[in-house]
Amino acid sequence: MAQHPQLPKWTEIAEKQMKGKSVETLSWMTPEGIKVKPLYTAEDLEGMESANTLPGMAPYVRGPMATMYTGRPWTIRQYAGFSTAKESNAFYHKALAAGQKGLSVAFDLATHRGYDSDHPRVAGDIGKAGVAIDSVEDMKILFNGIPLDQMSVSMTMNGAVIPILAGYIVAAEEQGVAHDKLEGTIQNDILKEYLTRNTYIYPPTPSMRVISDIMAYCSREMPKYNTISISGYHMMEAGANSVLQTAFTLADGVEYVKAALKSGMDVDTFAPRLSFFFGIGMNFFMDIAMLRAARFLWYRLMSQFNPKNAKSSMLRTHCQTSGWSLTEQDPHNNIIRTTLEAMTAALGGTQSLHTNSFDEAIGLPTDFSARIARNTQIIIQEESQICHVIDPLGGSYYLESLTNSIINESQKIIDEINELGGMAKAIESGMPKMRIEESAARKQARIDQGLDVIVGVNKYKLANEKIDFEVREVPATVRDEQIARIKEIKASRDNVAVERALADLTNAAKNGGNLLEAALPAVRARATVGEISTAMESVFGRFVATTRCISGAYSSEYTGDNNAVTAIKQRTNVFLEKQGRRPRLLVTKMGQDGHDRGFKVVASAYADLGFDVDISPMFQTPEEAAKMAIENDVHLVGASSLAAGHKSLIPALIEELKKIGGGEILVVAGGIIPPGDYDFLYKAGVKAIFGPGTPIPESADKTLALLEEKYLQ
Amino acid sequence: MLNDPQHYVTGVLNRDRLTLARTITLIESTHPNHQQLAQTIVDRLLPYTGRGIRIGITGVPGAGKSTYIERFGTMLTGLGHRVAVLAIDPSSSRSGGSILGDKTRMERLAVDPNAFIRPSPSGGTLGGVGRKTRETMLVCEAAGYDVVIIETVGVGQSETTVASMVDFFLVLMIAGAGDELQGMKKGVLEVADAIVINKADGDNLLRAEIAQKEYQTALHMRMANSPNWCPPVLTCSAVEGKGIDKIWETILDHRDKLTVSGEMAEKRKTQALDWMAFLIDEGLRHWFYTSPHVREALPTLRRNVEENKTSPTAAADSLLAFLYTRNGR
Ligand SMILES: Nc1nc2c(ncn2[C@@H]2O[C@H](COP(=O)(O)OP(=O)(O)OP(=O)(O)O)[C@@H](O)[C@H]2O)c(=O)[nH]1
Ligand SMILES: [Mg+2]
Repeated sequence: MAQHPQLPKWTEIAEKQMKGKSVETLSWMTPEGIKVKPLYTAEDLEGMESANTLPGMAPYVRGPMATMYTGRPWTIRQYAGFSTAKESNAFYHKALAAGQKGLSVAFDLATHRGYDSDHPRVAGDIGKAGVAIDSVEDMKILFNGIPLDQMSVSMTMNGAVIPILAGYIVAAEEQGVAHDKLEGTIQNDILKEYLTRNTYIYPPTPSMRVISDIMAYCSREMPKYNTISISGYHMMEAGANSVLQTAFTLADGVEYVKAALKSGMDVDTFAPRLSFFFGIGMNFFMDIAMLRAARFLWYRLMSQFNPKNAKSSMLRTHCQTSGWSLTEQDPHNNIIRTTLEAMTAALGGTQSLHTNSFDEAIGLPTDFSARIARNTQIIIQEESQICHVIDPLGGSYYLESLTNSIINESQKIIDEINELGGMAKAIESGMPKMRIEESAARKQARIDQGLDVIVGVNKYKLANEKIDFEVREVPATVRDEQIARIKEIKASRDNVAVERALADLTNAAKNGGNLLEAALPAVRARATVGEISTAMESVFGRFVATTRCISGAYSSEYTGDNNAVTAIKQRTNVFLEKQGRRPRLLVTKMGQDGHDRGFKVVASAYADLGFDVDISPMFQTPEEAAKMAIENDVHLVGASSLAAGHKSLIPALIEELKKIGGGEILVVAGGIIPPGDYDFLYKAGVKAIFGPGTPIPESADKTLALLEEKYLQ
Repeated sequence: MLNDPQHYVTGVLNRDRLTLARTITLIESTHPNHQQLAQTIVDRLLPYTGRGIRIGITGVPGAGKSTYIERFGTMLTGLGHRVAVLAIDPSSSRSGGSILGDKTRMERLAVDPNAFIRPSPSGGTLGGVGRKTRETMLVCEAAGYDVVIIETVGVGQSETTVASMVDFFLVLMIAGAGDELQGMKKGVLEVADAIVINKADGDNLLRAEIAQKEYQTALHMRMANSPNWCPPVLTCSAVEGKGIDKIWETILDHRDKLTVSGEMAEKRKTQALDWMAFLIDEGLRHWFYTSPHVREALPTLRRNVEENKTSPTAAADSLLAFLYTRNGR
């Protein structure tokens, strides 16, 4: 079919409406670099391999299952966990009673990084942003009253996968549940941790071995269990656009397949148990197309391994709405954002979905906000009637074109990765991380200029922000409770047996043997998560990240003249002239929170604005951050906190600075900090607090004003 | 900022981290008052300097300099040394600030009580790197750091400046990049006291060994610049910590050989003289260009040269003539 016969006529009418301007000017360039035209027609679909296919059949563009939601809607799977196992367990019971289907466990950062709650490095992290698990005793409390042979349990764990998965298995054993009855998913996707979230423990090579060992053990013992959830979500949250998310996630997937094949497995024994996890942002059609494109590409990529089982090349995915897209400002708008994103995931054909609570940019979900989030999905499933048709947007000229564009653009990046020798090598080269950070910096610049609109943040701002709902906090006693239980366990167990089991595990790490299998006796003997991690760390070492920051991306996106930015640049120059050096600040992340997007975007943007910016390594203690501030002689420290550790870590930093003579150094804070805590922090000496979504020029202006007040008077 | 120089002098000699850091800030400052103060401080500290081993490390971006220093530095503190690291970031432009991320790759050394790491923006002035880094190095020595390491990226001129202030100049290379020598000026190799091929690990091991041979050949073809030292080509893996101790042995060996022969003392003397010459050059330029007469006459002369009204020689002569008339200022 050629051009629509009437198209020239349409162009004519359209241009008349536009007072003579060309329709070309209505085209939009997406952040992915895809040109979107104002109108699509049948002509656009000509010769397109991905269009006009059927669901449940290769290449699965329209869905992995033949009947999709007409048979059964996606699984509502809400990710939750906080403070103690007991509290989380109570929350799960409530959620299940209210219509939730599977469980999804969030762990605290100390657990992720393989530290017990009594470890001095993690004092600020216990029970924050997830549940603290120190031993199988905690695991048993977590699943108390939840029959593990009947409940699909998904666990977001990547670093401490061995002790946690082993803990789950042993908790089930002690419930009397056989291994082959266990159903669920462990995230176990370590590669993306090196890219974005940084909750790894060991270096890449032993980490890949851990994954292969888990795949091998589960394919034998737990055939219904998904051994990995290959995740793009965190890349999106770190700033990756949809093409980057697709390409990097699938490339990670290929790397895992290769690792498993190398360890001697047959592709059809493990590939059907691979699952994916995509993040869904606010670009509605783009992300619908993304899920469709990802299925097509996975089918294509898997064909190189010649699987016999169709399921081996069928991409099944969990999705989560974007936490990053939620705003602290006018937070009820987040309900609408989440609804749109949930629709995207549904129209894209997800297998399960987590919808965020509207208060997540402010604090941990409450019973109320969790209910609204859950009901968002239930209402789409049960009231909107969209589940009656499979892939209802299939055949849309626009959507199919977009799907095809994502396929092509992602393939280009995948080819680039292949040239670098695969994803593990690409990660070593730093390429994927740089791309994601560049994408994030550009996004921030677009938002700060108002080119990307965020209601309540850079447009239609409220004059007075007021929190008129309850905000959940983690009680300060969690750490003490956990420490008490660790003491109890260590006093009551057979320590000789524990030592022996741990030595066996170390031996397996050194000389070969399945690590998951080797960890089970240690868990049964009540070894802690920290002890088990250390037993392997003594052989593998602990990985230290390389932090690189790109510069220039922020300001290069800042086109046109912008008064706010120019003014700040001038002021930093004046500061330089009067003080003999640029305003110098240290941006730091304390505790085990590895989300480094905000802190890097800030670093590179501030440098572009004329500040000298020191960046600290991640996972700092307040003492370490203070030493660095003193040594580099900065004017100001900016502490970024996204994981609820702010109330202990930031005041500790201020105290430490005073103690070692750096009392003059100003401290500001940024990230997810409940407004209810602002006063507490101001009293502790914090000079300014910047919530998520604060435009960079705004925070830079305030920061600079503080310094000018102090030094230029 | 306190204005009493003795406060800084005492603090530095007492090995107080905070005072050392602030003294470096004064040295780096472009503010005339700070510069004057810094000058006094450095002068008073001078008698306490000179006892450290001064090591310069250069290499292309990403060669692994910071990772190497992390390993090397922690090894040294483990041996009982006190280590100062000065990391110069020349990537900053005049208009913008810098991102100073070196410590993210020196995670253990950064928290080591026996280490002091100071990343510095160069602010786009190369001459500045020379002066500031040298003085900072001296102050670190006075504060009891017996090994001072200067990290600089080998893409500009900064590395030869650094080479002229250290005892041992180490060039870190990586295998495989054939165009590397072009990216990095040949001159750097001429001042190298050792070449180390980093990242000799994993798949890269063989390539590193091949590169080692190549550099060995290349080094043999050039004139030795010391009668007592023939620069070796070594390999190491900063990530795995292999070959690091060998490099330290080499540095000590170099020091012994040059000390025994008296060359080290000569070298430091020459460096001090070069340094004086540099300062005179810089001072003259500064004096010249800031004198009212030159400031007034220069714009017109430049225009005349541009428009071909005056020859460059004549213009320069007329300005320089002013040097000889003593009432220039
Ligand atoms: N395989 C391997 N990688 C290394 C080694 N040393 C450093 N790297 C990696 O190379 C990258 C760059 O290392 P850096 O130490 O930051 O290099 P640098 O020369 O200081 O870089 P700039 O300061 O940016 O010029 C990092 O990703 C390191 O992990 C090594 O011995 N082996
Ligand atoms: Mg470096």
